[in-house]
Amino acid sequence: MQITTEEMDGGINKVALDGRLDIAGAAIVDLKMNVIAGQSKKLLIDLKNVSFLGSMGLRSIVLPARAVLGHGGKVVLFGPTEMVESVIKTSGIDSLLPVHHDLAAAIAALQ
Amino acid sequence: MSACDPLAACMPIEDTLQPASRLILESRLSEIDLLWPWLESLAARYAVPPDTSFAIQLCLEEAVSNTIRHGYRGQPGYPVTIDFSPANVNELVFVIEDQAPPFDPLGDRAVPPMPAAGSIDRLEPGGHGIRLLRKFAGSLDYKRLSTGNRLTLRFAVAH
Repeated sequence: MQITTEEMDGGINKVALDGRLDIAGAAIVDLKMNVIAGQSKKLLIDLKNVSFLGSMGLRSIVLPARAVLGHGGKVVLFGPTEMVESVIKTSGIDSLLPVHHDLAAAIAALQ
Repeated sequence: MSACDPLAACMPIEDTLQPASRLILESRLSEIDLLWPWLESLAARYAVPPDTSFAIQLCLEEAVSNTIRHGYRGQPGYPVTIDFSPANVNELVFVIEDQAPPFDPLGDRAVPPMPAAGSIDRLEPGGHGIRLLRKFAGSLDYKRLSTGNRLTLRFAVAH
């Protein structure tokens, strides 16, 4: 599991996850995700290279996202595969963390 | 074996001779890493489509972690046994058994109601697992045993 961050125009922090977001993957990214969440008002989580998402991995998205929304920020999820998106929608978190497959639309949703 | 044996219908002979596979884990979350190569091997052997393989991994991670975290209350040193068998060419069955106190992951108290759409409570870290199990497993069955708990998960395989 790898995690990379990028500061984009408009004050957007992009965090890209790459690999399996299972229990082991979640343990690798949790700390960094929480640090990024503490610094972000607009957070784009790029999931296009996440090949697996389980319920423990979901926590790695949910907890930082909750922190960002808690201090008045916005979070969008970008580019999940069909199965990863199905996990997100089954959990119901997409009502607060919208899913986009078009980067421009994802960025627009954060403005 | 007759050509009409229901368990062998449409299944190559060599597959009908494969023994059921068993994986025994210790009750530590780090042991879940041992699930992946085992499941990948089964997926390759039984030509399981990628989406079904994803669903199996999702459900077994959830069910086994539930057993360790809730059944055994995080205490290491206890067994979690996972048996695999192909019920027939179109269905894969996983049976998870433990020696923990009674714990029904499908019980009413294990399924919190979904918070309203848009509510911050949707971002509670817990409570998603059972919804995912119900969505991604073809069927689920819990049975209390005299020595522990048994959860049976079935997955349809579309070829």
